[in-house]
Amino acid sequence: MSQWLLNVRLETGEQLHEDGSIQTTTNLFHIEINAGQIAQITVADTAFQPENAKDMQGQLALPAFKEMHNHLDKTYLSLPWKACRTVSGLEERLHYESLELSALADNCEQRASAMIEKILGFGSNHIRTHVNIDPYIGLKNLEGVLAALDKYKDYVTADIIAFPQHGLLRDDVPNLLREALRHGATMLGGLDPGGIDRNIEKSLQTTMDIAQEFSVGVDFHLHDNGHLGYYTIDKWLDMVEEKGFNGKTDFSHSFSLGDVTVPEQIAMAKRLKEHNVAIMSTVPFNLGRNIPPIDLLTEHGVNVHFGCDGFYDSWSPYGSGDILQKACTFADVTRKITERELRQSLGYITNGITPLDGEGQMQWPRAGDEASFVFVPSSCSAEAVARPPKKRTLMNKGKFFN
Amino acid sequence: MKLLIKQAQLETGYQYEDGFIMGTAIAPFDILIEDGQFKQIETAIEVESDMEVIEANGQLLLPSFREMHIHIDKTYFSGEWKAPIPITKGILTRIEEEQILLPKQLPFAKERAIRMVEHLIANGHTHIRSHCNVDPQIGTKHIDITVEVLASFKDQITYEIVAFPQHGLIRSAVEPLMRDAMEKGATHVGGVDPAIVDRATHRSLDTMIQIAKDYDKHIDIHLHDRDTLGEHEFHVMMDLLQQHDFKNNVTISHAIALSDLQGESLEKLTKRLASFNIDVTTTVPIGQNRSTIPIPYLYENGVHVSVGHDSLTDHWSPFGTGDTIQKLNVLIERFKFIDEYRISQSLKYATGGITPLNAEGQQVWPKVGDAANALLVDAVSAAHTIARLCPITTVISKGAVIHQENVELKGAYR
Repeated sequence: MSQWLLNVRLETGEQLHEDGSIQTTTNLFHIEINAGQIAQITVADTAFQPENAKDMQGQLALPAFKEMHNHLDKTYLSLPWKACRTVSGLEERLHYESLELSALADNCEQRASAMIEKILGFGSNHIRTHVNIDPYIGLKNLEGVLAALDKYKDYVTADIIAFPQHGLLRDDVPNLLREALRHGATMLGGLDPGGIDRNIEKSLQTTMDIAQEFSVGVDFHLHDNGHLGYYTIDKWLDMVEEKGFNGKTDFSHSFSLGDVTVPEQIAMAKRLKEHNVAIMSTVPFNLGRNIPPIDLLTEHGVNVHFGCDGFYDSWSPYGSGDILQKACTFADVTRKITERELRQSLGYITNGITPLDGEGQMQWPRAGDEASFVFVPSSCSAEAVARPPKKRTLMNKGKFFN
Repeated sequence: MKLLIKQAQLETGYQYEDGFIMGTAIAPFDILIEDGQFKQIETAIEVESDMEVIEANGQLLLPSFREMHIHIDKTYFSGEWKAPIPITKGILTRIEEEQILLPKQLPFAKERAIRMVEHLIANGHTHIRSHCNVDPQIGTKHIDITVEVLASFKDQITYEIVAFPQHGLIRSAVEPLMRDAMEKGATHVGGVDPAIVDRATHRSLDTMIQIAKDYDKHIDIHLHDRDTLGEHEFHVMMDLLQQHDFKNNVTISHAIALSDLQGESLEKLTKRLASFNIDVTTTVPIGQNRSTIPIPYLYENGVHVSVGHDSLTDHWSPFGTGDTIQKLNVLIERFKFIDEYRISQSLKYATGGITPLNAEGQQVWPKVGDAANALLVDAVSAAHTIARLCPITTVISKGAVIHQENVELKGAYR
C-alpha cells in the first residue's frame, strides 16, 4: 500500500532581485511513496485527503545525508564523559589507543549503536565507517560494528572498511584484513604508507594485492602532508593504471593536496578525476592545518564528500556527528555566503544531489527517486546550510526513523 | 527575594592520572542567593518559607556568559531568511548597501532587537554589549531603539551600548551625531578602520578619543585593517590615548592584525596593549581569508580576550547562532585543545574571566558575596559542557531565574 506525505516544501527555482540577491523559490507538494520509491509528486491541494497520509506541515525536504568518514568503533558515547590526553605525535596517540582497545572492544556494539542513533538523528542514511583491524583486538570491533549496524538496517546503509589503524606491514595484519573482508567488511582501508608503514611502495602494493584478491574498493587515511602525501597518491594512481584496478579508490583527509602549489593541485585533480577517485574531508579548521582545495577539486570534477570522523573518543573530545553542521563549517571556512554558494554546498553531504542545479533549475526529487529525505523547518537549503536547524526528521526509503 | 538552588554540582578541583589532568572533581551543594549575591554555599541548607527553590538534580553550576560583541540594531534575525549579496568593493559594498537597507528595516528594527536579546538570554548571557549604528541615513534612531530595548530588559541583564560610526567617523562626517548618541545613553564611543574606511587614520582616532573624553565614556573600536596597517593603527591609538591621558576602558574588536603579526612585532604590540589595559573581543573567525588572533597567547600575556557573536544573520553574514557554548567549542577546536584542563580553562573567554577553578585548579567560584549570575547545565564539568555542547536549563541573573528550559537530564552520559 502506498503512503502520502502531504504539504512537503520543495525548492522549485530562484528569483533574482533588484539588489543583486538571489532568492530560492519553494512550493508545497504532496508526495506518494510506494515500495521505498517516489511514485508521484503533485502540487499540494487541500481537497486531497488520501488514506495513509502524514502532514509534513510545510517542512522542507532535503536529500538524505551521507556520513562518509567515521569510526563507529572508537566512540566513548554511552560511557561517561572523558576528555583526551595530549600527545607528542601520532605514535604516542596510537600507544594510548592500544592501551584501551581491549577494554573498549567489549562494549563496541553498545557504543557504536549510540553513535549510529546520533548520526541518524542528524539526518544521515548512509555511514562509511572505518573499523580497526589490529594486532590488539583482531576482528572484535568489526563484530561489534556489524551487530550494531544490523539493528538499524531499515534506516541506514554502510560501507564497512577494514582499517589497519596500527599499520599494515606488521605482525600478521594483511591476513587479519583478509579475515575481516571474509567476515563482513565491504572495503579495504589504508593508513599513511609513508608516515606509519615507512615503506610507501610495499604498503601500497600489499593494499592493491588484497583489494584485487577480494575485488573491493579502497579508502586510504592519508594524513602525511606535503609532497610525501602527494607522492603517495600519485604512486597509487600509477598502480591503479598498471594493474587495471577497476575497484573504487578514495582518499580520506589528503591534507597534502592543500600543501602543494596550485599547478600541482590542478595536475592531481585531473588525475583523480580520470580515475574517478573521491576525496573524503572532515573539514578540520585547527590553526596551521591545510585542507584539500575543495573548490578547485570540485571545479575539476573530482567528487568530494564530508564526514564527521571519530568523535567523543580518545582522539577528539568534540565533533558531534552532525554532518549538516559540517557543511556549514565548510561554507564558513571557505566564505560561501551567497544563496547559490550555500545551496550548492549541500552536495558535499548528499553524494552530490542538490534540489536545484547550479543555475537554479529544479532537479530533485523526481518520481522514481529513492524516497529518502531529511525534513527540516527551514525555508530553503541555503538557509539549512548556513543555519542548521536542530529539528530533523529522517526518512529512509519510505520509513521514518524518528 | 531568596532563591535556593538544591543539589547543584560545583567544580572543586582537577583529577590527576600519572600527573596529567584527566577530569574535574565535582560535589553537590545547596546554594542560597539573596539580593543578587551568593549568600550561603553549604552541603545542605534548610528550606524556609520565604525561599524560592530550584531542584538542580545534580546539574552543574557555571558562571553566566557575557556577549561582548553583537549588533542588535541591524539583523535579519526573526525575520525572513536572506543570504548576503556578493562583496565586490570590500567593506564599502556593505556600507553602500546599508544606506538603502537600514532605513527599509527601521520599522521592524525594535521587534528584531527584542527577539535577539531574548535569544541571547536563552543562551545563557546575562550581559550584552551591543554596537549600534550612527550614520547619516539612520542618524541616532538606532541608538534610541537600542536604548529602549535594552532598558526594557534591565531587571534581567546588564548591558553596554557602543555608538558605532559604521560608515566612518570622518568619511560620513558623523561627529555631531556621535555626540548626540553620547547624550542619549551610549556608554562607549565606537570606531571602524580609521585607514581603510576613513582614510584619515590619525584624525579619526583623535576625534574618537576626544568624544570619549568629553563625555567621560569608554571606547570600543572595530579594527579589521590587516598586518602592518592594523599594527600602525594600534600604536597610533595608544600614542593618542597617552596624549589625551585617557583613563576609561578601551576595547579593540576583531583586532585582525593580531592574527597576521608574528615574533617580535606581536610581542611588542601585546606588551604595549597589556600596559594600556586594553582588551580585545573576537568572534573566533575560522574563514581561510582571515586567521584567528592568538587568543591564549594574548591572555597569558595580559591582554584580556572576550568572545562575541557579532551577527546572528544579517546582510554581512548568514552564519551565527548566539550559542556561546558552541562558540567556545569552535575556539577549542581552532586551538586544538583536547584535554580537560585547557578546555575547562577556556570558559573564561565567555564569562569575563571567571572560571570555577583557577589556573592552579583551586576552587575560586562561586564565593559568598559574588554576584549571582550563573547557569545550570546538564554536564559534569566545564570541559564537558564545551566539548559536547551540553544544554543550559536555567539562567540566573541578578539573583533571579530569568530563563528555564525543559531538558531530559543525562549528566556524564551526554
